[in-house]
Amino acid sequence: MLDEIDAGSADSTARLGWTGLVRFLHLAPRAFLPMRAMEQLVLVAGQGIEGDRYMIGREEGFYSHKPEEGRQVTLFELETLVALKRDAGIELGPEEHRRNVTVEGVPLNHLVGRRFWLGETLLEATRLSIPCRHIEEITGKAIFDPLINRSGLNCRILQGGIVRVGDTVRNAL
Amino acid sequence: MSARPITTIKTVVVGIEAAGTGIKVFTLADPDRWDLPPFKPGAHIDLHLPNGLVRTYSLCNEPADNTRYVIAVKREADGRGGSRALHDEVGIGDVIGVSLPRGGLEPGADIARHVFVAGGIGVTPFLSMARHLLRIGNADFVLHLIVREEVPLAAHLAPLIEAGRVVVHRTSRAGRPDLASLVGEVGVQTMVACCGPEGMTDEFEGMTAAWPAANVHIERFVAPPPMIDPDAKPFVLSLARTGTEIQVRAGQTMLAALQEGGIDIPTSCCGGICGACKVGWIEGKPVHRDRVLSPYERERFLMVCVAGSDADRLVLDL
Repeated sequence: MLDEIDAGSADSTARLGWTGLVRFLHLAPRAFLPMRAMEQLVLVAGQGIEGDRYMIGREEGFYSHKPEEGRQVTLFELETLVALKRDAGIELGPEEHRRNVTVEGVPLNHLVGRRFWLGETLLEATRLSIPCRHIEEITGKAIFDPLINRSGLNCRILQGGIVRVGDTVRNAL
Repeated sequence: MSARPITTIKTVVVGIEAAGTGIKVFTLADPDRWDLPPFKPGAHIDLHLPNGLVRTYSLCNEPADNTRYVIAVKREADGRGGSRALHDEVGIGDVIGVSLPRGGLEPGADIARHVFVAGGIGVTPFLSMARHLLRIGNADFVLHLIVREEVPLAAHLAPLIEAGRVVVHRTSRAGRPDLASLVGEVGVQTMVACCGPEGMTDEFEGMTAAWPAANVHIERFVAPPPMIDPDAKPFVLSLARTGTEIQVRAGQTMLAALQEGGIDIPTSCCGGICGACKVGWIEGKPVHRDRVLSPYERERFLMVCVAGSDADRLVLDL
């Protein structure tokens, strides 16, 4: 049944469309270290983010013992931070969710399996991120449950480049 | 790729300084001087020493000084070996894994006065707190330092002693001071805290038993046993394929017990939703706490990150 529904085709995507913004950029060179806000990140196709713990070859992240080709860059919705405050009374900053890119106006959960432009870089969304107890340990905040099904997006980098705060995020048709 | 998960913060020893008889101050930092995970004043960290020992030490520096973890270690010749290893074997440039900081004391908005009582090297967490309180402009605190004769970390404490913030009580000259008179009367706006040898912390605990719990803080040299759910019971995991038996302590997860036993289990969320650590069970009474297995699946599988056991023995298909 679902196969017969014309969802996510080039035509419907162009007509329904969305455009978002890069609001915050963060990285950390090693597991457990605080994420640092950056004005720009350098994304390397097929590798990851320069200086980040999950860059292929660096392997200093909490999950580096489980290498994942589709986890070269991770994204998170600003709207989720707003919802956490509104619905659960939890104040979580963009430096605390431990994903690299905080976007606004981008329906991340809809993008699994799709390609989209993050500034001048082209990404392919591989899977939804899942919350983990590790993030509760680091932040000391009970965010595991509230983040179920809205914990961000894992992506592979198809075309590298520099991503800057304020860049546009848009569908790749 | 690292074969094992990274479980500690990687630090390097960037400073070692003598700070009194048998005391060394070690400064740890990130290899690239990145900020370290934040901590509360007087928090402590576990050091995973090169010889395999894990030892806990209070941080002496203040939270605003967040690119370093500074600890003071007194060499205990007859101790359990941690201080000897640090004094005798660790040098500048050595890599030491440390835990996330735990504990500490966040000065409450409604606390107007702090009274600290420290015995000897037990002064370390209060050095952190004193520095923090001074930085945020909190004027009303005093640290009573009880020593036999020599003041540990004298150079670090000198400005605080000079400013009247630290009052030194030398037992070799005046005997041991009366803790109750140092602490004074109970007050809702007063926070009292103690760190020192067991006898001192026990006396302090008894003396402040009638105080509101939120106004009393005690740091011990040897950590008290962890708080365990009173309903939690230990059980045995029997691994059917290898014949191995693994003890699960009360309150411990099966996952942690299996990992301690050298069994490599894939994990991800560690909260019972991702499904990575699914393991078959053969015999016993598992308690399922995951949110991923169906009732049918639960008849044959469990998630070792969150599942428990209602029987003394649980047989797993491992």
